[in-house]
Amino acid sequence: MLRYLAKRGITYIFMIFLTTSAGYFLAVSSLKPALLEQERIPRPTPEQVANSMRLKGLDPDLSPWERYVEWLTAIVTRWDWGRSPNGAYINAEFGDRVWISTRLFLASIILTLVIGVALGVYSAARQYKFQDRAITSYSYLAYIVPAPIAYFLVQLGAISINETVGERIFFVTGISTPGIQPGWAQFVDMLAHYAVPTVAITLVGWGSYQIAQRQYLLDNVNADFVRTARAKGLTRNQAISRHALRVSFIPVAQSIAFTIPAIFAGGFFAEKIFAWPGVGSWSIDAISLQDVNAATATLAYGSVIFALGAILADFATTLVDPRVRVQ
Amino acid sequence: MSSEITTGAGHTQPDVERLHVAGLHAPSDAVLSVRDLNVRFNTENGVVHAVRGVDFDLLPGKTLGIVGESGSGKSVTSLAIMGLLPSTAEVSGSVMLKGRELLGLSDRAMCEYRGNELAMVFQDPLSSLTPVYTVGAQILEALTIHNPTMSRQAKEARAVELLAMVGIPSPKERLKAFPHEFSGGMRQRVMIAIAIANNPRVLIADEPTTALDVTIQAQVLEVLHTAQEETGAAVVMITHDLGVVAGMADDIMVMYAGKPVETGAVDDIYYNPRMPYTMGLLGAVPRVDVAEKSSLVPIEGMPPNLIHAPTGCSFAPRCPLASDACLAGEPALAPVPGSALHRAACIKSGSLGGDVDVHDVFAAPPVPVSRFDAVPREKRSTVLQLKDVRKHFPLTRGALLKRRIGTVKAVDGLSFDIREGECFSIVGESGSGKTTTLLEIMEFHKDQDGEVLIGGISNKQANDSRTKSAMRRELQMVFQDPTGALDPRFTVYEVLAEPLQNAGMDRQAIKARIMELMKLVGLQPDHVNRFPNQFSGGQRQRIGIARALAVNPKLVVLDEPVSALDVSVQAGVINLLDKLRAELGLSYLLVAHDLSVVRHISNRVAVMYLGKIVEIGEVDRVFDNPRHPYTRALLSAIPVPDPELERTRERIILQGDLPSPLDAPKGCNFATRCPVFAALPPLKQEKCLTLEPPLEPVAPSAAAQALAAHPLPAPDQRFACFFPDGEIDEDMLVVHEQADHHAP
Amino acid sequence: MTNLNAVDPAAVAQDAHLEGADVVIGKNTIIFRRFMRNRTAVAGLAIFLALTLFSFIGGYFTPWDKETIDPFNIGMPPSAEHYLGTSQAGIDLYAMTVEGTRISILIGLIVGLVSVLVAAVYGCTMAYFGGKVDKVMLFILEALIMMPALLVVAVATSGGGEGLKRDLPSWLLLIIVLLVFSWMGTARLIRSLSMSLMQRDFVKAAQYMGIPARRIVWRHLVPNIGSLLVLDITRGVTGAILAEVAFSFIGIGIKVPDVSLGVLIGGATSQVQTFPWMFWVPLAVMFLLTGSLAMMNDGLRDAFDPSSSSSGSATKRKALKTRVKRNAS
Repeated sequence: MLRYLAKRGITYIFMIFLTTSAGYFLAVSSLKPALLEQERIPRPTPEQVANSMRLKGLDPDLSPWERYVEWLTAIVTRWDWGRSPNGAYINAEFGDRVWISTRLFLASIILTLVIGVALGVYSAARQYKFQDRAITSYSYLAYIVPAPIAYFLVQLGAISINETVGERIFFVTGISTPGIQPGWAQFVDMLAHYAVPTVAITLVGWGSYQIAQRQYLLDNVNADFVRTARAKGLTRNQAISRHALRVSFIPVAQSIAFTIPAIFAGGFFAEKIFAWPGVGSWSIDAISLQDVNAATATLAYGSVIFALGAILADFATTLVDPRVRVQ
Repeated sequence: MSSEITTGAGHTQPDVERLHVAGLHAPSDAVLSVRDLNVRFNTENGVVHAVRGVDFDLLPGKTLGIVGESGSGKSVTSLAIMGLLPSTAEVSGSVMLKGRELLGLSDRAMCEYRGNELAMVFQDPLSSLTPVYTVGAQILEALTIHNPTMSRQAKEARAVELLAMVGIPSPKERLKAFPHEFSGGMRQRVMIAIAIANNPRVLIADEPTTALDVTIQAQVLEVLHTAQEETGAAVVMITHDLGVVAGMADDIMVMYAGKPVETGAVDDIYYNPRMPYTMGLLGAVPRVDVAEKSSLVPIEGMPPNLIHAPTGCSFAPRCPLASDACLAGEPALAPVPGSALHRAACIKSGSLGGDVDVHDVFAAPPVPVSRFDAVPREKRSTVLQLKDVRKHFPLTRGALLKRRIGTVKAVDGLSFDIREGECFSIVGESGSGKTTTLLEIMEFHKDQDGEVLIGGISNKQANDSRTKSAMRRELQMVFQDPTGALDPRFTVYEVLAEPLQNAGMDRQAIKARIMELMKLVGLQPDHVNRFPNQFSGGQRQRIGIARALAVNPKLVVLDEPVSALDVSVQAGVINLLDKLRAELGLSYLLVAHDLSVVRHISNRVAVMYLGKIVEIGEVDRVFDNPRHPYTRALLSAIPVPDPELERTRERIILQGDLPSPLDAPKGCNFATRCPVFAALPPLKQEKCLTLEPPLEPVAPSAAAQALAAHPLPAPDQRFACFFPDGEIDEDMLVVHEQADHHAP
Repeated sequence: MTNLNAVDPAAVAQDAHLEGADVVIGKNTIIFRRFMRNRTAVAGLAIFLALTLFSFIGGYFTPWDKETIDPFNIGMPPSAEHYLGTSQAGIDLYAMTVEGTRISILIGLIVGLVSVLVAAVYGCTMAYFGGKVDKVMLFILEALIMMPALLVVAVATSGGGEGLKRDLPSWLLLIIVLLVFSWMGTARLIRSLSMSLMQRDFVKAAQYMGIPARRIVWRHLVPNIGSLLVLDITRGVTGAILAEVAFSFIGIGIKVPDVSLGVLIGGATSQVQTFPWMFWVPLAVMFLLTGSLAMMNDGLRDAFDPSSSSSGSATKRKALKTRVKRNAS
């Protein structure tokens, strides 16, 4: 097992290296931070701009290949991912933002999974009844609404609640109120900030798990081994919950492992709409600010998360399915 | 007669009254009585009346065999008794278990009985165990449900005892194994262990051996026999194979189109059938123990669609004896003259008894004679020759990370030849390498290990496409699964046109040839525009045969051509193959696990075990006088549709499954399971383990030699064993006590 | 025993009125009929066709276009002159919606069709050659899956590429980028499906008959994955429309002056309270578009898969309407 994971790990490291390098070349040849500098007032001379860029390791006069070698050397030797055009260090900024993204998504991921899987099981058990139809229709609806629009609609809803009550209950943007007293007040403030994004992401997210779990369970409800369990003297519901459920969870576990990174890496919509300064919105901002190093760093982060998810999926499969366990 | 089959008093009485009467008259000691069981399914196309009035009584410790083809309603009957049908099924009638009504009970109330007094073994052992739980956990679950107070130790001890009873070696360790670590036969044993865990009064076995190899089938049937003896349960044995139940059952119920059409004691049904369908079924099965060549009895047509209520006898459209009277109302199950307990649903049952020959009734075609039959074998030309063909695969372990741990010698030094007009068969268990042999022949490329000569063309010269296409015209193949072998998006015309277009024929010629082919295989030429799913399984196989014959090959490779078909349909296809061989002078290479089919159509046979031929020769010689212990065991494993013979004959039960190729000894591959080897003294055993026995001809018997003036030529039979006539180990020899069964 | 002797009930039903008349109805006709029998699917198709028609000829029903400013009607709600009202800048919303719908449908159709085509070629090539070729192509595929598409979209449409931006309208640029990142999943699916088809007996039979490989792929493989391809096209169209809306909504997809549904919706978010029609009208059109496609997709899946409850796992995804009750054993 360990050997297998190590082998997969090496393949993925190679892949991450390739995608990141490709991303760097794309960024370095299309993003020109020097152009933005020139729009400053008072307008700096081209020499001044070039100088300031050179100091931050963003020398526009070097060829893409030379800059790539420089950039790679810094990472390999010093784990230094470079600097932004405004002089900030990528490493420091990155640490802050990863933490913000994680805080934003952790609760939603857990809620999404629990609600999605639970509703999937519930709707499979009531196949073709009203509850099943309502839940499954909702999931299909969630599928045809683009995520940012759904977030925006939830935001509108929260605003109208605030207006109806006549008091600000929810914050629809931002992560915290600056300068709030620690303790109870801070906790309430945190809840008020977390509630809307968490609800929005969860509402949009659980649909696909519900549909998948429902389908996999239905595939197994009439399986031969469920019939065997019933022939032993279990009721239909007991047989399904003890036997079919566990088997139907195998593919779901695999897809869960794969979608956790997708939520992380695809979180820019949520971060953008709810104005949380996480990795996702950073990646977008990096591009409008012509920030080569930040853009590449976020891309590398996305690839790493994806690889972790893939390895996690393998791991989850071996955990729930004895047939692929390596003796 | 041990148990009684009572029937509803007739269709004139209203159902309520009939049930009442039946209930009153049910034998009080019957452990299971079924009365007027009806099952209906709502489908998109209408209501399917899948079971239409089944009645029977089962006495303690006795065995009832329910026989019928797919779609006859036998499995639905068993599921209805167990209460395991989907809730959309509509079940009516009465099912009494020890005097208590089971029908109409809620799922929860049924759980009292299921797995406790009423247990069931299902057909497919591979999918019937939950893959994510250990075998031990699944047996323990069955015990826990009905014995909530039992201690864990007691349950574990019982589970070990059960596994030992069903013949699983080192049961204690195997409790912790997952189902995928067991072979099919072993999983079926586990299923039986689960079923008998709580000493059921009634055990229903639904085709328990259909998915298994013959040798494993013999083992599992033996385990069922033991289980019945241990628990004293009454058994309902559901099968399509008349051989399987012949030795086991006390009574037989033959079902057709959802209805019992003939019931009675086992001897009555086998020796004195009174319903044409039963007669047809018996005549459709080839016998492995009989050399005499006669054509099989085909039952033409298809079972009726149960969406429409039959107005006459449901078998009438397929019955050669049907007359107008048969179409007026469905005949009731009525006592056969002369025997009160033997009932048949046929208005002509009175005239069918005694010495009516089934071959006359069903107009079995005459035995076809090939023009090559008169020519001695040596004088015919060779159409296929294999010289020392080998195929080795690397054996890997680990689902995710593969590492090589050895070599599987799937085919290991195979040599044989096939002459014109001859049918040569390869038999053996799954894993013996017979299918790999076919693939090696079909692949035909020059990098193969060993030489394959097809119509004189060697694979060693097969480097250009012209040689290959010349070879393709000599050799064609018919597949096991007729559905999978036909592209679902092709019409029959397109299916048959494909090889002809490839051969470069023009449109007109193709059309003429297709019409010719359709007639040749017995299909209506105007059906060429239909899609494969509009045909029955037997017809689909005929299309497959027609496609193989399209380019006029000399040799046709048949991979289990009838194993996916129902018995009655099977007979028609076998007869067709027989006829084509004679008329067109074809040669066949047949792979089959059903030795009776092999005996029926082949001239020569090779028995394979772990990639090697262990015995080869003329089919009657090999089957009547098998020399290799493996051949003896294989032949002994085949159940024969003859109750008398089945009850009395000795049978060799091989231990265990086909071993992993890694465990094969250096000498004789078969030594690990050999019944002769087990009884040999250690010195002789040493020889089997270290030396590989060569394939040697059988010497002519001393008596025959003494009578002849000249040295006799060696008969056509060779085998690879050092001790062919050795004693068989007693542990592997089983004779059922006669008293135990059958008391007329 | 297997249920070999069971004849497909649909085919038998077909058979009933075939007797006598020696015409056989093709598979495609059967599929077409099944589709037409599904009311939801037909409604979906009708809505989609109507929207497409509207997006092409709708412009002729109003004198306004998406650039002309009406200085007398600025930020007006729907009226007789401006059917759907005007924007803050005084541009006719109806004209913009017609234009936006057309761009969205175009993006959807082009991306959906071309990506499935690319996926089919790529997937079949992998399955056909196998071995080393397959390994290398799979590696490229996975590397592409790993790239966060969004970043590339953003770089291509917002960041640099000045030359590109000058030569190509932003919607074409978006199409190209979406194409690059939309075909991998389908390609992987087609690869595994073709590989399992290659193992089927009828393909083996063709091989043993000496049929050339190219013909086998064309006559046996492609038609048998055809239903999957059609399903993936409708799914791909939906996905592309959704992606366009999502990207344009947060401002990195299509750029003004080009219009699309996403641009219209995204541009109106700040005015939901003041000019609600500017937000809800394009949103409703988008729902009609994606909803009708989803309905069609559902109907198509049912039509292709007559025995959906017993079908292989490859085609059994999200089978919502697999009407069971076919449990008769």
